[in-house]
Amino acid sequence: MLEWLTRDPLNGLVVTFAFFISLIAGRYLREKRSLAEGKGRKTDPRIKLMVSFLLIIAITSMEHWYFPIIISILFMAAAMRLHILWDYSKKLAFPLLLASFILVIQGFTYGVNRIDLGIIPLYMDGVEYGFLIFTRIFASASILVLLITTISENELLESMRWLRVPVTVIDISSFMVRYIKTFSNEGKKIKLAQESRCGFSGGFANRMNNAASICGALITRAFGRSDMVYRAMLSRGWHPGSRQSRIPPLGRSDAVLGLVLSSGIIGLAVFDRFL
Amino acid sequence: MKSSKLDLGGSNLHISDGILEPQWILFWYAVSAVFIALGLRAINKRIASDPSYLPRISLIGAVVFVISVWHIPVPVTGSSSHPVGTPLAAIIAGPFETVVISAIALFFQAFVAHGGLTTVGANTFSMGIAGAFGGYLIYRLLKNISPLWFSAGMAGLAGSILTYLVTALQLALSLNPENVTYYWKLYSLGFIPTQLPLAFAEFAFTAYAVRYISETKQELISSSRGMDRFTKTALVLMVVIASVIAAGAYTGYLSGYEMAGVDGTVEAGAAPFADTDSIGARLMARFGEPMGFALVGITGGLVTGYFWTGLWRKN
Repeated sequence: MLEWLTRDPLNGLVVTFAFFISLIAGRYLREKRSLAEGKGRKTDPRIKLMVSFLLIIAITSMEHWYFPIIISILFMAAAMRLHILWDYSKKLAFPLLLASFILVIQGFTYGVNRIDLGIIPLYMDGVEYGFLIFTRIFASASILVLLITTISENELLESMRWLRVPVTVIDISSFMVRYIKTFSNEGKKIKLAQESRCGFSGGFANRMNNAASICGALITRAFGRSDMVYRAMLSRGWHPGSRQSRIPPLGRSDAVLGLVLSSGIIGLAVFDRFL
Repeated sequence: MKSSKLDLGGSNLHISDGILEPQWILFWYAVSAVFIALGLRAINKRIASDPSYLPRISLIGAVVFVISVWHIPVPVTGSSSHPVGTPLAAIIAGPFETVVISAIALFFQAFVAHGGLTTVGANTFSMGIAGAFGGYLIYRLLKNISPLWFSAGMAGLAGSILTYLVTALQLALSLNPENVTYYWKLYSLGFIPTQLPLAFAEFAFTAYAVRYISETKQELISSSRGMDRFTKTALVLMVVIASVIAAGAYTGYLSGYEMAGVDGTVEAGAAPFADTDSIGARLMARFGEPMGFALVGITGGLVTGYFWTGLWRKN
């Protein structure tokens, strides 16, 4: 039974070495890939923002529906890979509703090639144009949804600073980002408190009164809190002239990536025009 | 954004990416940029004299953002939707300041998949400029002749309706430039089932909210001055003269003149030797008569208004 071990160890040695070296190599490859994926996610948010903006502009200028469709499919595949398909689909709902509205209006009113459907006529030119708009909206919304899942508020504010957005806008934006969640949570708590005291239970006027009183309460709280925030700012040495640290420069690899992607997008838009 | 946990259901009138043609994207960005610059100027002036204004306007901006993604009950449809929120913001913070707040809010809303990156300019114009200025104007006109809640409610109603009319116009201009008027009507009609009930909801919401604030923190909305005698007289005269012209035109229309205008009478009687190739005539031919008359009205009004006080002092 143990002949292979006592008489011919070669196969055993080969299998053992092969297995363990492959095991180490496999683990190494997996780690390297994870590292590469991690690096991919850490692409500079400024590049992500600018490339997304350029891609959306390119899509809105496209005249053939198949390019936006291909882009949509690619981004949908990316959403599946990132395990955000449900969130992605939910966020696409409103843009696609508006796209359908435009498709219907164009299909039933625009063009000269008329198809009689019995009650109302359908125009082929309108259907084609409406479908083009639909695919553009689908692709643009897909890009935006994927962008927002990979960029945080702080990264966005940093990108705004780099894009030379006025300092006051940045200041207001950073305050807003910090307090939107606070006021949203406070609003929810007040609503819960009202509901537990039979609020939001009557007719339209009563429910509207409840909703508006939450809004009024939040506004008065915002005023009160702004005084406290100002005192806190002063206690930390803030003054109107004090500004934040320098903007970090764009990395060379990110700049090259941005340049390559931008060239590709412009090339795609030009190709679409000449097709 | 990935860390946002806001409740963002329902629908409202944000134009998504991919709808507007690139030239219209640029146009609406340019128009909104002018108003944003004016708003920033006003905010910076306030911050220079009162630094505590920075956190105040920012926190109001945060509340406006939260309100604009809040669900309010909508009559008739029985569902719920988001208010525009900008007329209320204009009443509390001022219309120019509201433009800045709404531009920032719309930029962040794009990052929660409401609206879009390329349409921030267009959405700022419809909600932050048309909605806020329209609503604020109505509020100021009605404030001294009606209860506060009613003038605020009418501001909400007008702001909401103006927002959806301007959105419909933006869609028509970009998608169907060859027949703008027809498609403007069509898109406006298409929005009516959802937006008209929402406008009434906005009326009630703004009215109740302003009444609540006036009862709890009156200084927030009572700081603005009412109209002076000059403004009131000018507005009354404007309405009276416009009514006389409209009534006259309608009477002429009923008599079969089909609103042919008085151009022939003026050319033959009042200015028989006028140069038909003058700059004014060429401008009229290029931009259309209404634009020419509007320019004349704006220039005349501005000059007269500017020197009015000085004239009276001399006398």
